[in-house]
Amino acid sequence: MSDQYLLSRDHLAPLLRRLAKEYRLVAPVRNDHGDTMFQEIANPVATVPDLESQPQNSLKDFLFPQQEHLYDYRLDDAGGYHFQPPATTTPPTLFFGVRPCDLNAVLYLDVVFLPGRRELSYRRRRENSLLIGLNCNQPFADCFCAAVNAGPFLEEGSDLQLTDLGRDFLVEVGRAGGAEIIRRWPHFFRSAPAEERNRRFQLYLEARGGFSRQVHADQAIKRLAADTLPSGVWEELATRCQDCNGCAYLCPTCTCFTIVDQPQDQHHGRRLRLWDACTATGFTAMAGGHNPVQPGKDKLRQRFRHKLELDVKKHGRPSCMGCGRCVGACFGGADILHFINLAGR
Amino acid sequence: MAGLATTFGSGAMTNSINEIEAAEVILVSGSNTTEAHPQVARRIYAAKDRGAKLIVIDPRRTAIARLADLHLALKPGSDIPLINGLMKVILDENLADDLFIELRTENFFALRDYLYRLDLAEVYRQTGVAPEELRRAALLYGRAGKAVICYCLGVTQHVCGTANVEVLANLAMLTGNVEKEDAGVDPLRGQNNVQGACDMGALPGMLPGYQPVTDPEARQRFAAAWGVEPPAWPGRTLLAMTHGREPDSGDGPVSKSDSPAAKPGGAGGADQPGQPDPASGIRALLIMGENPLLSDPDLNGVAENFRRLDFLAVSDIFLTETAAQADVVFPAACFAEKDGCFTNTERRVQLISRAVAPPGQAKSDLEIIAALSQQLGYPMDYQSAAEVMEEIALLTPIYGGIYHDRLAGGWGLQWPCWDRQHPGTPYLHKYYFTRGRGRFAVAEHQPPAESTDADYPLLLNTGRVYHHYHTGSMTRHSAILNRECRHPLLQINPADARARQIAGGEAVRLISRRGEVEFKAELSQQVPPGMVYGNFHFAEAPINQLTTTASDRRARCPEYKICAVRLEKAGGDEGRRP
Ligand code: SF4
Ligand code: SF4
Repeated sequence: MSDQYLLSRDHLAPLLRRLAKEYRLVAPVRNDHGDTMFQEIANPVATVPDLESQPQNSLKDFLFPQQEHLYDYRLDDAGGYHFQPPATTTPPTLFFGVRPCDLNAVLYLDVVFLPGRRELSYRRRRENSLLIGLNCNQPFADCFCAAVNAGPFLEEGSDLQLTDLGRDFLVEVGRAGGAEIIRRWPHFFRSAPAEERNRRFQLYLEARGGFSRQVHADQAIKRLAADTLPSGVWEELATRCQDCNGCAYLCPTCTCFTIVDQPQDQHHGRRLRLWDACTATGFTAMAGGHNPVQPGKDKLRQRFRHKLELDVKKHGRPSCMGCGRCVGACFGGADILHFINLAGR
Repeated sequence: MAGLATTFGSGAMTNSINEIEAAEVILVSGSNTTEAHPQVARRIYAAKDRGAKLIVIDPRRTAIARLADLHLALKPGSDIPLINGLMKVILDENLADDLFIELRTENFFALRDYLYRLDLAEVYRQTGVAPEELRRAALLYGRAGKAVICYCLGVTQHVCGTANVEVLANLAMLTGNVEKEDAGVDPLRGQNNVQGACDMGALPGMLPGYQPVTDPEARQRFAAAWGVEPPAWPGRTLLAMTHGREPDSGDGPVSKSDSPAAKPGGAGGADQPGQPDPASGIRALLIMGENPLLSDPDLNGVAENFRRLDFLAVSDIFLTETAAQADVVFPAACFAEKDGCFTNTERRVQLISRAVAPPGQAKSDLEIIAALSQQLGYPMDYQSAAEVMEEIALLTPIYGGIYHDRLAGGWGLQWPCWDRQHPGTPYLHKYYFTRGRGRFAVAEHQPPAESTDADYPLLLNTGRVYHHYHTGSMTRHSAILNRECRHPLLQINPADARARQIAGGEAVRLISRRGEVEFKAELSQQVPPGMVYGNFHFAEAPINQLTTTASDRRARCPEYKICAVRLEKAGGDEGRRP
């Protein structure tokens, strides 16, 4: 990222207000129950983004939603299906306050869904979105992005990338959409002097030292690749996992889905795509009842091998971004951190 | 419930759920915790990670049993001798907490004398648990500084369910593991609000807050608020309503003086003016959110009784098997479509707020009850659920300080919460038991109502699976949950299957004295030889056609966990697609 500007903290709200006139604005918001979630901000005057907490959901909820209406279908008397895609509109959307792990996760979703021409709705949403990232000066309790090279600062991938300097935000221009914002609303930005750029580096070093957990992801990755995991790891995880699928649903990079038909009446219905998870036993069960994954023995093997072994082979990096969501969500202590720790035993 | 009420004076979890995490020893009895109470199981996992020891008492080798340091696979229905045996070892090893017993309990000598006479060889014969295992468990539990007992329906759904609970309570008192943080006796309630329903008087003999209907002062308080006096005699039990008669208890037919309708306590008794004759049949039923045509034991008896009714009304969120038989169905709003409170297993009252509008004509339970009451000539004009809560606080001392505004924005309050300043009660019986002193109750082995014989050589145990809830009226509408568990499975030990030449996945017929039902066989080491295990979520395999109505004399809870059955291949159906 080359061009760098300063945005005064006081001018952030006015800027968002301005942008919300052109875009649907999505940012972390703390709700009445004390939970911070990425959600649409209809009125940026009344609702201020919460930049202090990690949102519980990720951008996956928006780009690859939990439930996607694929088709309306009609069944004719001969039992034939006739499909009609539903009418959709994809408003241009600006995602604000995206942490490096979640931004890297979007880049990973791109790798999964963009090639080829099948995933039209993902492509439409993605092409209509702008990403404004926020670097993490202070990692949250369960985070370990540095161990998987996904944070705490982002080097590239967003349209604009902010670093909190206190009174100002340092603004780095990334992709074209970001340059466009600077060009159209230049009065919000002033160019950043060299010492502020140096402060970014200083903050980065401090943030790297700020993780509360020591996570040896490389070791787990190496041992998976060399097939030298200590014995009993999968069994232990399988007894502890309670099949809730929470880890996969919350994970910004888990992309398993299933397709179901929801009949409305005898002749009509909707075909839906729903999130699914390899942690669910039935996900791998075949029609005859045979299951290549034995639930009692290797239920979580798919998930961790996919993230830390297969994607490393295929894309050169693990698809765990170290956001720590599954660590906070898991019922049984069968999350990826637990696995990494067991693998390093 | 009844068991803890007699010994401690209050029938609820004595701890908070997260206290379990800090216990040194956890004894889990009759609970498939991982599948039925994952939020409790996660605390058990966490406790184990911190070095706690886990003892599991269960005839089946469940996931939590596999995790245990010690799994006592007792013969079904032998809980009482097993716990008595544990207590005897603890006593012999001088691990009893004499000071606690002296200061906080009563009737100890009766228990002590009984235990001195107890023969451990006999215990082994009755329970099938080897003496060394029993000893190890006793030493583990007895030496712990802070020990928690968690139990569930595997303990209570027996003809001796109340006594089963009493012996667990004895064990805790014997070692002083009550009345303090991170130690206690915890019944795990299966549904989000079953504790709340009991708290609000959905029990035959109780007004809200466990105030007995036989207490004239309590009745007066409610009469003053409601303008009508509640009946002075207990109502009928669930089975009496769904079967049209009092069920058999394990120890012979119920005599009239035994029936709860005639319990001593002042105003009870069949001669009470206006009291209906307990033998007379029920003519009309209103059922809310229950599906007895799938969930009650001996289903054929329920169906027969429902056919005899003049009128059946059902209020539910889906058209359940029971609702389909009703004369009138009230479509009810689900949890996300209404305001109100749920009280969970740790006595925590939590606020729920309407997130989406109810579909179609569905209405909240409050609206349904109020409209019905209006029609019956008693207008209820509550403006909101919050107003109902105010009345609860007024009339129910344990909820005395619980108001919606206090619940909002937090994690709720745990009763007892006596007034607006009270912070709620994380664990019960601090300094003294609710009933004053904890009472040791001596209990002896009581065999199950039905034992195996040549015609019915296997024991059937029933329970739940992870992916479905109760009669599946909600979960079976979910595509993914159905995929995870689509078929009614019957767990059979491979040895029993071999003897009958049954292969995994094959259709089998299970027959009891009351009916027969078909399942798919699942060969599993989770069940010991001689026992089969099935669940009651599936209308196409209504397992409760097989179960018995024999029930505990005091709590009236039926013995879902044991009945005698015979297993056969479902002949002629081979090759039929499931
Ligand atoms: S595996 Fe867990 S820590 Fe890694 S990206 Fe997914 S949710 Fe975050
Ligand atoms: S969150 Fe934990 S318990 Fe739930 S599916 Fe994932 S690993 Fe299993």
